[in-house]
Amino acid sequence: MAWAWFHRFASPPWIYGFAQRWAPWFGGSAALLMLVALFGGLWLAPPDYQQKDAFRIVYIHAPSATFSLAVYTAMAIAAAVGLIWRMKVAHAVAAACAPIGAWLTVATLVTGSLWGKPMWGTYWAWDPRLTSELILLFLYFAYMALRAAIEDPAKADKASAVLAVVGVVNVPIIRYSVTWWNSLHQKATTKLLGDPDMDGSMVWPLLLMLLAFALYIAAVLLVRLRAELLRRERNASWIREVLG
Amino acid sequence: MSRGLDDFFAMSGYAFYVWWSFGVGFGIVILNVLLARAALRRAERDARRRLEMNP
Repeated sequence: MAWAWFHRFASPPWIYGFAQRWAPWFGGSAALLMLVALFGGLWLAPPDYQQKDAFRIVYIHAPSATFSLAVYTAMAIAAAVGLIWRMKVAHAVAAACAPIGAWLTVATLVTGSLWGKPMWGTYWAWDPRLTSELILLFLYFAYMALRAAIEDPAKADKASAVLAVVGVVNVPIIRYSVTWWNSLHQKATTKLLGDPDMDGSMVWPLLLMLLAFALYIAAVLLVRLRAELLRRERNASWIREVLG
Repeated sequence: MSRGLDDFFAMSGYAFYVWWSFGVGFGIVILNVLLARAALRRAERDARRRLEMNP
């Protein structure tokens, strides 16, 4: 049963149809949840006792940062699946992840420095968390540049997949940098297991925004995946049917 | 909850940092959607052109 699913995901026309059907639903629900989370975070949540209203930057900074890492991890897993099982769809997923993750990393760095200035007194410091996040951006750039530089798609898939898999070592470094080293950056406010360090009135908009970002990224990824599949499957007969 | 609109926009003196963060952050959220749609339109146009050349 599980293998039947796996094989279905390997079929470009099936994935293309799935992406076409589901992207609007993911995108629509993401937009709705984002609006509610924004209202909760900017208006309903009380100001922080130390950071006052500046703490509200968390509602855009933390989701961007979380998903800059999650998208890289997804990209590396897809690249590894592509390498191991020679699955073309998996390479297409990895390629579709890269620009989305790169933009999220830019958002993380910009919102982070806009938060750092009033709290730390500087827009930038060569701190472990900040530096490793900047390296993440360079990894995304390197992945995209490598793909663009190799003309043969199969070779581009293979070379960029190796880079994505090797670069995944940076993900736990970013995640745990605030624990392993002395960092200006605060530790995580929400945990996968256990209670968050925030009051309930502040944490629900954050959790809602994280859910909204997950749906939003799924929607954008599915649109980019369709573009990737059309480019790669240029001679396949199913393209005539879906574009007909 | 009882604060007025002036307080809301002032963000207790952090207006510049808060509003720029949300502006850039959600600007990128929207940009990601526009770029993905543009990539899809480009790929569809190229695929259609190939189909016309090889009917």
